[in-house]
Amino acid sequence: MRTPGRKDGDEAELIERSRKGDSEAFGLLVERYQRRVVGVALAVVHNQDDAIELAQETFVRAYENLSKFESRSSFSTWLYRIAANLAIDFWRREGRHVVLHGEDADIEIGKLPTTHGDAFKEVSRSELSARLKQALEELTPEHRAVILLREVEGMSYDEISDVLQCPRGTVMSRLHYARTHLRTILKDVAGS
Amino acid sequence: MLLGAFEDSELEPNEMQEVAFHLARCESCTGILAEYSTIGRDLRTIAVEPALNGFSRAVIARIDQLPQPVLTRIARAFRRQVDSVSSGIAWGGAVAAVAVMTIILMTPYAEQLANRGPHSTVIARVENDAAPVTPSEPTMADNDSHADISRLESENRSVAVWSEPRRDTTVIWLPDQP
Repeated sequence: MRTPGRKDGDEAELIERSRKGDSEAFGLLVERYQRRVVGVALAVVHNQDDAIELAQETFVRAYENLSKFESRSSFSTWLYRIAANLAIDFWRREGRHVVLHGEDADIEIGKLPTTHGDAFKEVSRSELSARLKQALEELTPEHRAVILLREVEGMSYDEISDVLQCPRGTVMSRLHYARTHLRTILKDVAGS
Repeated sequence: MLLGAFEDSELEPNEMQEVAFHLARCESCTGILAEYSTIGRDLRTIAVEPALNGFSRAVIARIDQLPQPVLTRIARAFRRQVDSVSSGIAWGGAVAAVAVMTIILMTPYAEQLANRGPHSTVIARVENDAAPVTPSEPTMADNDSHADISRLESENRSVAVWSEPRRDTTVIWLPDQP
């Protein structure tokens, strides 16, 4: 069980003031979580302008729905969940990808070649970075979100599971798929 | 799948141990793990830090445009009122303080000015008129109904005393000390 700390107490007060319509108090919450909310949105949509727009929308939605927020859960996770949902919805609306689920995803993984050793060492860093960005674009938002939330935002599997509202096992399998895919793409660069 | 979770330290302790033992004798998996590590590092390197200047202001501006529930609007209006009253009280207090300070500082000068003005005039009259006048010889007739000052009585040339009995008024003039 979590022991409420000073930050929690302060946060609870800010949330309560925000519920009563104090936008200044809500502004402090925005400043506290804006970077990571943008990070979550960016992990899914992989476009900075879209991510910032979605993050703003996240905070507006959160403000509108503060009465539904139950203080027993973490406010930050609640925010990240809104951000992830909005970002995934946005991505689906845009229709820029094909989502792979369950067996389909496993079949795709099976098609990926495997090689031995760290083949990336020989590739120049700039080339690798450019290809990595491109490889991220090729991932579905679900897979990209999982790997970026893990590697860039440093979230645990449980946090990712909470934010993306999927089982921990799904987080693990998506991470596995994303890593394998990125490895393969980068190996192609190394081999060419 | 276990390799990635091992890299993330997300396995149970016994699983972590198993994978560690496996890695000790499997070159292939050690290579894959190294590549996962490289990918993670590169992802952190290429991650852009979005510029968030004015982000919270933009959010609050959007929130302020939302249609607010009646209770929220009332609460906001009340808060604004309290703020304006508080600032009004603060301004009023400041103005009052300045006024009080001005009065305190200016009062001696004001008194001096108020006392000095008529005296200066009187000094001139007294110095011109008082010298030849003796206390027993009033300059103006007691019965003169138009006279404001009925008598000038003082033996001391530096002190002038006027009496005006009909108005029940006595004026005593003392010169300023050098």
